[in-house]
Amino acid sequence: MSKRIGRRDFLKLAAVGATAVTATRLIRPAVASENAVSGTRQWAMVIDQSKCIGCGYCTLACQAHNDANPDIQWNRVTTAGEVAGKTVFLPRPCMQCAKAPCVDVCPVQASYYREDGIVMMDYDRCIGCRYCEAACPFQARSFNWKAFDGPNPAVPKWGQPEVARRPRGVVEKCTFCYQRIDRGLALGMQPGVDADATPACCVACPTGARVFGDASDPNSQVSTLLKDNATYRLREDLGTDPRVYYIAADPRKMEGST
Amino acid sequence: MNLKLRLASLRISPWSLWLGLLGLVLLAALVAGILVFWQGLWITNLSDLVPWGLWITIDLSSIALSAGAFSLCAAVYLIGLKRYQPIARTATFVGLIGYTMAMLSLLLDIGRPDRFWHALVYWNNHSLLWEVTMCVVLYLAVLVLESLPIFANLDWLKQRFPALARKMGGVHHYAPYLAIAGLALSMLHQSSLGGVYGVIKARPIWYKPEMTVLFMFSAIVGGISLTLFASMLASRLTRRAKVNDALLERLSHAVAWALVGYLYFRFWDALAQHYTYDPGRTEGFELFTSGPLSFNFWVLEMTLGALVPMILLLTPHTRRHPFWRMIALGLVVVGVIAYRWDTNLSGLLVVMPYLPGRQVMSYVSYAPSLIEVLAGLGVIAYGLLAFSLGVRYLRVVDHRFALEELETVNFKSVERVAI
Repeated sequence: MSKRIGRRDFLKLAAVGATAVTATRLIRPAVASENAVSGTRQWAMVIDQSKCIGCGYCTLACQAHNDANPDIQWNRVTTAGEVAGKTVFLPRPCMQCAKAPCVDVCPVQASYYREDGIVMMDYDRCIGCRYCEAACPFQARSFNWKAFDGPNPAVPKWGQPEVARRPRGVVEKCTFCYQRIDRGLALGMQPGVDADATPACCVACPTGARVFGDASDPNSQVSTLLKDNATYRLREDLGTDPRVYYIAADPRKMEGST
Repeated sequence: MNLKLRLASLRISPWSLWLGLLGLVLLAALVAGILVFWQGLWITNLSDLVPWGLWITIDLSSIALSAGAFSLCAAVYLIGLKRYQPIARTATFVGLIGYTMAMLSLLLDIGRPDRFWHALVYWNNHSLLWEVTMCVVLYLAVLVLESLPIFANLDWLKQRFPALARKMGGVHHYAPYLAIAGLALSMLHQSSLGGVYGVIKARPIWYKPEMTVLFMFSAIVGGISLTLFASMLASRLTRRAKVNDALLERLSHAVAWALVGYLYFRFWDALAQHYTYDPGRTEGFELFTSGPLSFNFWVLEMTLGALVPMILLLTPHTRRHPFWRMIALGLVVVGVIAYRWDTNLSGLLVVMPYLPGRQVMSYVSYAPSLIEVLAGLGVIAYGLLAFSLGVRYLRVVDHRFALEELETVNFKSVERVAI
C-alpha cells in the first residue's frame, strides 16, 4: 500500500512538475534577453514607397552611425520611375536574404547568418576576393578599395559612429544596424519601437517611410503593415527570400497630390 | 650600326638579352606590385560593378593552360600511353609554373593578401571558390612532388648533394599515384573554376551548368597545346631543347580532334544563349556577338582560337610542317585566354537591375589600368623566366633524356599500375 502513489502524492508531484515547467518557461526568455541575440526574433523592414520622398537622409544617417567611407553607400536611394506624374523612389538597404547568395559563395565563411536573420560580415575573416559582390543580385555589397582615414563628413550632423571602421581590402554591407538592436535589447528596449534600438535609417526617415521590427511578433508594426498591405520584394524570382518588403507607391497617398 | 658594334664588343648573347628584357619587365612589375600593396586596389580600374578583371583572367588562364600536366600524366601513367612521357615531363614543369603564376596574380587581386590562408582554415564547403582554393593548394603540392625528379637534374645539386638528388629522382617511382591524385584534384577544380561563374544566379549569362564542362574541356585542349608550343619554340631557339617531332605531331593530331569536340560544345552553348529573350543573358550574349567583346569572340576565340588551328592541325600537310603546327598550337592558347577574358567580362559588364517592373539594362566598361597591366606582365614574365631557366638548366624539354629516364626509373611502376 505504501508503495503505491496516493492521491496526495500525485498532487504533490503534479505541483512540482508544473512549477518546474513554468520555471523553465520563465528562465528561457530571461536568458535569451541577456544574450541579446534571440533566435525567436526575425527582423524585417517594410518600406512604403508612397511616403519616400528621396531625401537621402537614410543614407547619410547610415554612413554616420556605421562610420562608412563616403564613397560607400550601404543604403542607396534610386529613382524607380513615375506614377501619375510623381517620382517614385526606392531605397535599397541589404535585403538580408534568408537564402543569401553571398553567404553561399564566400570561401571563408566571412558572411554568415545570425539567428535573427541578419546576414553578417566578419571583417576580420574576409580576404577581399569580392566573389560576394559578383553574386549579390542587389549590388548591396561594397569593397573598401581605399583606406578610410580622414574624418567622416556625415559625423556629427547625422549621428555618431557606433561600430569600428572597416580596414582597406574587405567587403562591407548593411547590417540592419545590429549594434543598435543588440545594445537596445540588452537595455530592455524594443527594436522598431524605441529609436535607440532601431536601425539608423528608419530613425532618420522624416516621413516614416521605413518601418523596422520583428516579423515573428504578430503585433509588431512590421507584421501589421505586412498584413494590411500588398507588399513585394526585389527580385523575388531569384528565390533569395529577402527580409525587406516594399509597399508600392500609390499616387493618392503621395505628398503633393493636390 | 653603332649599337651593333657595341653589342658585339660587349658580347651580349641572345640569352642574356632575353634575361635582361625579362628583368626589366619584372622590375616594373615589382614597382607596380609594391604600389598595389602600399596604396590598395583603388589604383586599379576595378570597381564594385567590375570587381574582377585582368588579374583574374591571368589567374584563370594560367590554371587552364597548366592542364597539360594532369591530362598528360594521366595519359602516360594511368592510361598507359608511355610514349608521351617526355611531353608529360615538360607539361608537369609548365603546370608548376602556371599554378605559381596563378597564386601570384591572386595575391595581387585579393584585398587582404595577408589572409590568403583563411580558406584553408575557415571552410565554407558551400563555396566553389573554397573548393577551388583547396584543390589548387593540394594540387600544387602534387605538382611539386611530380617536379622533384625534374629538379634532381640540376647539375649543381647532383655534384653537391648527390644523395638528395637521387632521393628526389626516386619520387618518380610514385608517379602513377601522383597522377591519380592530380587527375582527381584537377578534374575537380578545373571544372569548378567554370562553376564559380556557373552558379551565380544574379548573372544570367554565367548561370548555366555547361560552364563547368566548357572550362574543363578548353583547359585540357589549351594546356596540352601550350606544352607542345613551348616545347617546339624552345627546340627552335636553343640546342638545349631536343624534341621528338613525330611525337609532337601525333599529340597535335589528338589536340585537333579535341578541338572539334570543344567547338561542338561551344557551338551548342552559344546557340542556346541565342534563343528567346532573357534579361541579362541576352544582353551578355550580345556583348559577344556585336558588343565590346565581339572582336575577342569572333576573331580571337572562334576563328583564330578554334577554327583555324583545327583546320591546320587536321590537315596532314600543315600539321607535319613544324611552322604551321606551332602557329596552330599558339593560336589555341590565345583562344583559351580570350575565352576566359570574355567569360569573366560578359557577366560583369551588364549591370543587372533590381528595380521592379520594366527592366532597363545598363552597361559598364572595363579596361585594365597601367598598374594592372605592368603587374600582370610581371606575372607572365616570371613564368617565361622560370620556363627558360628550366629549359637551360633542368632539361625540361629534352625528349631523348626523358626517354632514358623513363627506361631506368619508372618502368616498373608503370607496369604495376597497368595490370
